[in-house]
Amino acid sequence: MSPRRFKPDRDVTEWTGPVARYDLAKEVTISFVVVLLLVIAFAAIFSSPDDHPVTLKSWATAMPVDFVQTAVTELDGTSPTATYGPPYNETPGAGQKIGPVSLARLAGVHIPINTTEDFVIKPLLTLPNAPALDSQVSRYESAGVAQRTSWDAAYEKAIAAASFPGYLKVPSGRYGPVGVMMTNLLAMARSGALDGALLSSPQLYGTDYTKPLLFIADGSYMSDLAANLHLQGDQWGMMNETGNFPGQAWLWLYTMWYQVPPFNTSSSGDALVWAVMMLLTLVLILVPFIPGLRSIPRWVRIYRLIWRRHYRSVTTEAT
Amino acid sequence: MPALVAALINLSHPGRYVHWGFIQLSVANLVVIALMILVFVLAIALPFPHGKRARR
Repeated sequence: MSPRRFKPDRDVTEWTGPVARYDLAKEVTISFVVVLLLVIAFAAIFSSPDDHPVTLKSWATAMPVDFVQTAVTELDGTSPTATYGPPYNETPGAGQKIGPVSLARLAGVHIPINTTEDFVIKPLLTLPNAPALDSQVSRYESAGVAQRTSWDAAYEKAIAAASFPGYLKVPSGRYGPVGVMMTNLLAMARSGALDGALLSSPQLYGTDYTKPLLFIADGSYMSDLAANLHLQGDQWGMMNETGNFPGQAWLWLYTMWYQVPPFNTSSSGDALVWAVMMLLTLVLILVPFIPGLRSIPRWVRIYRLIWRRHYRSVTTEAT
Repeated sequence: MPALVAALINLSHPGRYVHWGFIQLSVANLVVIALMILVFVLAIALPFPHGKRARR
């Protein structure tokens, strides 16, 4: 078998020139110490972002009417979370797609959330010594679908004209027990109890913020805050940090796709951007095997700048 | 006590942004990107330190 032809972007010749001793451990140690000192210095000079977390309490305190308007959509199952589809619930036609494939639908509902029960009724039932509220909740639960829909619709209409002069002032209407339920849920949220109720978990320290975060995201409070801080997806927000702090500049490519068509207009934008980035990552991994692409460093010749002393001596020897 | 732990330069105030077509970048990110490019250029331009040479 004849030896294969030498290709400069694939094959290397054995080095026969001079060599120098190199202490890798020493370099790693020096690099570590330098970076550590830089981190300490920058932390002392610039500190780090320390914004207060957004909670149900802060939302219900700042925008009580918006909270209740959102809460009633959780109750009647029309909120973005309630209609999101997998992984939270089964909603026909919901879920982002890559072509004909919906990855979320393939994975199925594995974080089941029923907003009526999980965001409204169960938290209300945790309130102690509230027999009047309990009876109103029972009344709502035992009512037929048509009756509940009628109450929900009446309350949604009334809450659109609500105000908060120190208390929730809602125009009267035929919304049955929904008014009492919403008033109590608002009071619960403003006291901080709703944050705890949605966070409740078997562990001593709950770290699963899925439910409160979804609830908050359904309202306009968090998105307004995000827009002010340039953190929205259409503001290159993935790259940004709060205030004047630098953010995640390395996410420039990921967030750039969200600014251009078809990604910024597609209802499956997240899935499409993810697919493009996975494709590009695959190309990056396979660079050594892709003819042409793997030759770019040889054509650009930056290596000759890095090893210029060597190439200068080679040229001198040749002449 | 807060004065003792306060940062020398306070960055916790509304950010500044530059717009160029569909590109929207914070000034802070631009500074970091410029510094990264500067470090890259310096890494190429600065000569390697001369070490002891050995011939095998």
